[in-house]
Amino acid sequence: MADDETVDPTAARLEAAAASGCAESRMLLTRRALLGLSAGLFSAAVLPRWAEASTGFDPRLLVVILRGGLDGVNTVVPHGDPWYETMRREVAFARADTIALDGFFGLNPAMPRFGALFAAGEAAVVHATCPPLRNRSHFDAQDNLETGLPGRASNATGWLNRLLTALPAGAPIKTAGAIEIGGAPLILRGPAPVLGWSPSWFWPMDPTTTGNIRNLYAALDPAMLRELDLGLRADALASGQGSDDGDLGTLRKGFRGAARLLAAAAGPRIAVLSVDGFDTHSRQGLLGGTLAGLLGELDLGLDDFRTLIGDSWSRTVVLCVTEFGRSVAVNGASGTDHGIGTAALLAGGAVAGGRVVADWPGLAPAGLVDGDLAATTDLRAVFKGVLREHLDVPASLLDSQVFPGSAGIAPLSGLVRSTAAPTASASLEFASYNPAPLRPETALARYRRARRKAARRA
Amino acid sequence: MAVRRPRGHKAALRIVQRFGLGPKPGLVARIAADPLAALDRETRRPGQVLIHDPSLPDYAGAARLSTEFSTAEALFRTEMEARVDKHMAAEIGFAERLVIFWSNHFSMSVRKNEAVLGLVGQLERDVIRRHVFGNFTDMLLGVMMHPAILAFLDNADSIGPNSQKALWWKGRGNNENLAREVLELYTVGSGAGYTETDVAALAKILTGWSYVRRWEADNGWDGGSDANRGQFIFRPEWHEPGPIAFMGRTYQDTGIDQGIQVLRRLARSPLTAENIAFKLIRHFITDRPRPRDVKRLAGVFIKTRGNLKSVARALIRLPGALTLPPAKIRPPYENAVAQFRAMGQRWGNGNHGTFWGAMHFLNQQPFECPSPEGWSDETADWLGADAMTLRLDTALAFAWSFGRELPARPPDLARQLFGRALSANTQTAVAAAYDDYRALATLFVSPEFQRR
Repeated sequence: MADDETVDPTAARLEAAAASGCAESRMLLTRRALLGLSAGLFSAAVLPRWAEASTGFDPRLLVVILRGGLDGVNTVVPHGDPWYETMRREVAFARADTIALDGFFGLNPAMPRFGALFAAGEAAVVHATCPPLRNRSHFDAQDNLETGLPGRASNATGWLNRLLTALPAGAPIKTAGAIEIGGAPLILRGPAPVLGWSPSWFWPMDPTTTGNIRNLYAALDPAMLRELDLGLRADALASGQGSDDGDLGTLRKGFRGAARLLAAAAGPRIAVLSVDGFDTHSRQGLLGGTLAGLLGELDLGLDDFRTLIGDSWSRTVVLCVTEFGRSVAVNGASGTDHGIGTAALLAGGAVAGGRVVADWPGLAPAGLVDGDLAATTDLRAVFKGVLREHLDVPASLLDSQVFPGSAGIAPLSGLVRSTAAPTASASLEFASYNPAPLRPETALARYRRARRKAARRA
Repeated sequence: MAVRRPRGHKAALRIVQRFGLGPKPGLVARIAADPLAALDRETRRPGQVLIHDPSLPDYAGAARLSTEFSTAEALFRTEMEARVDKHMAAEIGFAERLVIFWSNHFSMSVRKNEAVLGLVGQLERDVIRRHVFGNFTDMLLGVMMHPAILAFLDNADSIGPNSQKALWWKGRGNNENLAREVLELYTVGSGAGYTETDVAALAKILTGWSYVRRWEADNGWDGGSDANRGQFIFRPEWHEPGPIAFMGRTYQDTGIDQGIQVLRRLARSPLTAENIAFKLIRHFITDRPRPRDVKRLAGVFIKTRGNLKSVARALIRLPGALTLPPAKIRPPYENAVAQFRAMGQRWGNGNHGTFWGAMHFLNQQPFECPSPEGWSDETADWLGADAMTLRLDTALAFAWSFGRELPARPPDLARQLFGRALSANTQTAVAAAYDDYRALATLFVSPEFQRR
């Protein structure tokens, strides 16, 4: 069923990417059976308290993780760098073909909608950025992006979960998904409960049979009925009843679902969209290549999101990040391999847009790090800047709990519009935050803790 | 101690669900006279849990194939098919469940690199399966002296800061990831009272435990050669010299033996016994293990010095093990296996995409748990809203992909699977479905199929 019912437009391109690719893209092809781009949405399970009070402060944050390593150099092209065409050879864009962002950078032509947002001051780029660990392994680099820690640490909690743990909690969110999904991405791993919703390419069970099954659960298993009903409600809301989402790829379905859920009055305010498939090892191409196909989907997804989130757009920051960039030189398969510095894309009504923020390290061979674009901005600085200005998270909390060991990394300021700043300071809400562990507490540790407590009482 | 032996279809179904991989047609009726005896039988012949498949390579062969991505990927696929076939062949599947449990105890993700990708299957075949009814110490040592775990937890490049190697390879040091997980997850467990100093000490004790990478075999570097390509290697010149104090004792530098001594001590610790007992009860019986059951099972582990056969037999004899109502839900991978068993279908015959797609969206791709802590055993982590709708959708996809040649029409199949334990409600719901695929999917998502 998978082969003939997979309608994802990127599947064929993924196949090309995997043909000479690394572990990740080949797995996508061979064992994920042409899943295409897959996207899963995960969000905080409670409303922040400020969203319930009439403070006028009700920001939305969507972190999009583009997995596989986005080629920042051909996404936001440094035409002003004299080495660009030499290094990128057959996959170098001509200046005339890209969308001018400023005198130096041009945007990949597959992203005209993002380009329009940039022109309208609602999108920005941070270039030559990367998470702190730089070792070219997807597994380790994604771990590092999501744990927010300075180096490699196995079994750590995620930085966004550590933030949620500290967040003043309001009412539970009832619109989307289930509490504590086993498979939430690492960035959301930890004690704060998480909701999940993902658009799959599986044909949904028809209403008649679903009705039969509901009756069965009602008679035998109320807990399963409760979860099923919650899931059906979330699906209906996220996929927009009567919409034409059914024919779209899962990436766009993911963005559209995210917008509908984040737009709901009692819906989540902080969410993560995890997207696979950016590992462009071969036939990366120009206008019709792998990368353009991926970016085209992303561009449409962001535009869908903007349209569907409605009025909340003005209070929204969408932050698209990836684990690393790609080699500056083209490989033998007209693709690029795992690299370091890359671009982070920001979009949203709350973004102070219209600019590319970069301390450009240059593409001259002497300035490269083992053939890769250097990263002059630690990705944590971008995260900290957005959290500081958009959610008004106190600097001390960012340095101590959300990104421990990052006191030396100053938040990148000015990414968020000052008009979106809170009217009543949310900082006050964080005044006495709950501490979050750097490693999740195991069930055994909880059990032992309870035993010790019981022993003390006895 | 004497247990009142359960009898009948209902008891048989509970045992097949709780301790096995799900019913096959006729199984419940077959073992209804004495289901505990049937379960016991699966612990009596440890040889039966081994996979004898001449198409699968031995350790040296698998290690060699696992230094290249493409051959490692091909091997992983073959290993996975052999694994699922073995799950299908088992009668109840208690031994298979224990294999899955222990592989999850030492959980690794094949996304890490080609060594893990190619070798997790061989590790399970030759270490986990060999010791699943053997001794825990042997299993622990077998896992720890295997390339897959040394790759997964970054020990392969862990170099003692005062070792000979560090003298000229400046700036290199040791990595603590493996040492930390040995203590927190594999042996004594978190909350056991060890300190950060102990973690650091164990990391130094384990320096030099590595495996031969492709470039080392190609160039003859650091003890590598074509003969040991991809295999475990202890590198004395990478090992931290001098005595090391760890958890109240000092261990002399006896090379690799220093680490083996420490691991043997950890494997025998009563705290390790408690960790294993707690995890086994939580995996098989209840999300909230009772202290007296944990104590009893840990006692068996301690008394038998980690004999896992005795522990398994004690587990199924715990009070309530056979009688507690089925409150846990089958996780996605085992749910897929149960569906294959119910249909009598080799999964390789159908559409692989359906299987991998279901595992992907349900968040349990085998051997891809991102955390070394392994897949959750908490019902709440698998019984979620998104997961429930996906369970319905993927059950229908399984019926379409694999259910074209069923041993019987779904209403009859339901009776063959559940015997007299089939509820009237499920019987009615299956009969009411408007085609055979929907009927089969309804059966798959019914509470008696999902719960255990």
